[in-house]
Amino acid sequence: MHIRKSYLLLGSVTIWIALARLLHGKNTLQIATYENTSFTSFIGEKALALRGNRTHSGAFIYFFNPIRAVIDGFVQFIRNLIAVPAPGGLIPIIGWFGVVALVAFVVFATSQWRTALLSVALLMACGALGMWQFTMDSIAMTLASVILSLAIGIPLGIWAGLSDRVLKILTPFLDLAQILPTLVYMAPIALVFMIGAASATIATMIYAIPISIRITSHAIRNLNQSPVEASTSMGSTQNQTLKKVQIPMAKQMIVLGINQTVMAAVSFVVIAALIGAPGLGKPVISALIIRNVGQGFVAGFAVVFLAILMDRSTSAAAKRQESFIPPTPKKIKMKRFTLIGSGIAAVVSVFLSRTILWAAVWPTSINIAPQVEKITNNATQWILDNLSIFTVDFKDFISYAFLNPLESILSASPWYVTVAMIVALALIIGGVRTAILAFVLAMCIVVSGLWYESMLTLTQTIVGTALTMIIGLSLGIWTGRNDRVERILRPFLDAGQTLPAFVYLVPMLGLFGPTRFTAIATGIVYSIPIVVKIVAEGIRAVPHSLVEAATAAGSTTRQIITKVQLPAAKKTILLATNQGLIYVLAVVVIGGFVGAGGLGYLVIVGNSKPELQGKGLIAGAAILLLGVIFDRIMQAGARRSA
Amino acid sequence: MKALFGRRSVFVTVVIAAALILSGCAKSVNSSSGTTSKDCGSWAIAMHAWNGYTASAQVVAEIAKKELGCTITQTTLDEGPTTYDAMEAGTIDVVIEDWGGGRWSDWTKRGSVVEAGLNGNVGLIGMYVAPWMAEKYPDITDSKNLNKYASLFKTADSGGKGAWYEGPPGYTTIGEKMVAANKLNFKVIFSGSEAALVDGFTKAEANKTPFIGYAWQPWTLFSKIPNLEKGHVHFPANDWTDPKTASGLTDYPSSPLMKLISKKLNDSTSAFKTLVDNFKWTNDDQNGVAADIEGGMTPEAAAQKWIDAHADVVKTWLGK
Repeated sequence: MHIRKSYLLLGSVTIWIALARLLHGKNTLQIATYENTSFTSFIGEKALALRGNRTHSGAFIYFFNPIRAVIDGFVQFIRNLIAVPAPGGLIPIIGWFGVVALVAFVVFATSQWRTALLSVALLMACGALGMWQFTMDSIAMTLASVILSLAIGIPLGIWAGLSDRVLKILTPFLDLAQILPTLVYMAPIALVFMIGAASATIATMIYAIPISIRITSHAIRNLNQSPVEASTSMGSTQNQTLKKVQIPMAKQMIVLGINQTVMAAVSFVVIAALIGAPGLGKPVISALIIRNVGQGFVAGFAVVFLAILMDRSTSAAAKRQESFIPPTPKKIKMKRFTLIGSGIAAVVSVFLSRTILWAAVWPTSINIAPQVEKITNNATQWILDNLSIFTVDFKDFISYAFLNPLESILSASPWYVTVAMIVALALIIGGVRTAILAFVLAMCIVVSGLWYESMLTLTQTIVGTALTMIIGLSLGIWTGRNDRVERILRPFLDAGQTLPAFVYLVPMLGLFGPTRFTAIATGIVYSIPIVVKIVAEGIRAVPHSLVEAATAAGSTTRQIITKVQLPAAKKTILLATNQGLIYVLAVVVIGGFVGAGGLGYLVIVGNSKPELQGKGLIAGAAILLLGVIFDRIMQAGARRSA
Repeated sequence: MKALFGRRSVFVTVVIAAALILSGCAKSVNSSSGTTSKDCGSWAIAMHAWNGYTASAQVVAEIAKKELGCTITQTTLDEGPTTYDAMEAGTIDVVIEDWGGGRWSDWTKRGSVVEAGLNGNVGLIGMYVAPWMAEKYPDITDSKNLNKYASLFKTADSGGKGAWYEGPPGYTTIGEKMVAANKLNFKVIFSGSEAALVDGFTKAEANKTPFIGYAWQPWTLFSKIPNLEKGHVHFPANDWTDPKTASGLTDYPSSPLMKLISKKLNDSTSAFKTLVDNFKWTNDDQNGVAADIEGGMTPEAAAQKWIDAHADVVKTWLGK
């Protein structure tokens, strides 16, 4: 059975290549970028009408505009507290010293003094990078979207944790949100809520809420059921059981959910700047426009510092509940004393930051940004001067050997051949239902008129994913087998996951020029950390007994890896591939900014040329459809292999 | 919520609340030194990302602040629809330089954006080869000869044809039409950002590799690559009245750049409106200020330098 499947796969790919050769260049559905299909111009007109309606349609006056106003007001309120002066004032309500003191106090109170110290250091580092106000803006945006996300996510998550029906209704949306590339839904949101803080907050919430729902419901569902049953049998109402038993027991997991929600919001900081979010995203994006690598890195470092600060403080808060040794009364008294003391200190500092100039405004004399900029610029220049010969050769090799042949199969052959073959692969890998879904979704792309560009994007995604998996698998196996490697690699993986892709898009541009490969390379860097983590996890989860048995039987390391660990971790590896593919797709489309073309470019051009707006919106939808097709095929494949 | 977070969080909340109330009551450091505005009012100028724009906008901002006592906010945002939407929403009042040849028409029809005349700068768009090529192959700058050299421009990404690097998404581009109408053996590659073009031109000139791409003036790349002007490829001049129906046989037209203002500003009697209406200067003026900014001066200082040197011009803008 197993062998037959791989023969089938091989056979269909051969037929595919033959057909593509035979019918090369026919029915590719290619249209010029400036041309609209009747469908895209229809959508464009609708979008235009929507813009015109903002001032007088009921839906806007009574629904969308109030939402925008409320969220804008909320964000503005937080920004006025820490980031920007309120109208009429000259400084924000709390000056930098007060912010540092308050953060230190809050972190100290919720976790421990070491984390508090780290937080202070990170905040000051952001200030020293000349990014104080941008950082405060980003913190304000993050706070606002996290508070709103949790206000929706935790109750929904608890509900979904208690009711199977709610979970069943929510699950498809949660799945969809996980594969939704961020570039895709920003344009529609901006269309309705306009460019600005409100749109950025809503976009962040769409990204963050599913995560908090998922973890909260998981927390409630996976509780030890006996205390719950005991509580019910003692006559507690459902409400009482929830408040007194389930929520307190699930607390630690829920706090972990808060941590993940915060991290989701932080990772959105940069891309949200595309739709007007104030904060660190602005210097990163403008570095792309004026091609100042150094400035991009300075802002990028601040984003990473902010991410570490948010991560450490919230995850420390989650961990601190764990301690098994009950504190002595003396310790409790001591802690309470220092807590109250530091609380008073914080309040005094805030007061000072309001009344004394040096504590109110970050001193401009403390600014190491020019130096950091210079160092990174020089380093990048050195790399460009010395490596670009190799990088250009490597790019050309990948382009001629893989990109161009694959592109000619996918995009230069008739659409019906490609659709038929995608459906055939879905049938073989995933089964009948997956095949039907793939057919319907692929036909949606055909009808939308953007088939050709979709195939360009697909080509880049496949090549990017393949390269990611080659690197990710070897690193993943290595870290999964060796704890020391894991310890060394971990910080890099963490940083790689938080450093926004926009920051290294420009250096990549320097290395590879305005080409498709620049997009692919950026996608690879972005997706490797997650792939390595998942693969390593999978390798570590292989039962020790299996490995020991193989070792005892005299297997070599190579044999253990290929015959025992890889097969046993097959499902995890398939899932890692899927995750890698979704990540690569999400970033490859950003490559539209650096000459990669495809759907991403259409999304970008749709944002700036009114006559192509419809095309841009549809391109966003096509990216999503591509993502769903491949996610479904891979998921079905992973399920079957289990 | 208490079930979730416990007593400690209540204490934390109390401290934060106390801090907020305290700081809300406390008198801020410099709330006493607020500037008094005369009758000019408070206005927002859109700041687009290119240096030339910054030069023009900063000069207007400095005059408005210092001569008229206006309160001026400068907001960085994308050109085009994004800005027009902001003008409709009332958060932006002035665009000092718009290249978009009428792309604002849907907004002007609704009355939320108003054309405020030309700003005196003239935008020139064209296709340029790396200047070393113009020197080595003198006839390359005539579009008729481009095909002869097409194979030089081949890259891994151009499908066997020459690679033709098109302008950034927000700009007027007709590359696909130009290639088709002139039967050029080139493939249009959408470079996607200014950064990509800067990268392409600089590397091509430094390494003497072939490159043909979209460029525009005023643009600071022309000061970084001194001979770039010589690389201008000339297409047959032709009629270019409607950009949407342009055949593509032709070169890009030169486009006088437009000022746009919000309905609010248009309806007001503020002296700021007079200033924006009258603002008009040359490409040389703008390039001078932009070069100062590029050279490391702050935009404020560069603008002030120009203002000090041109007091009489400023006077006419103010209607005095």
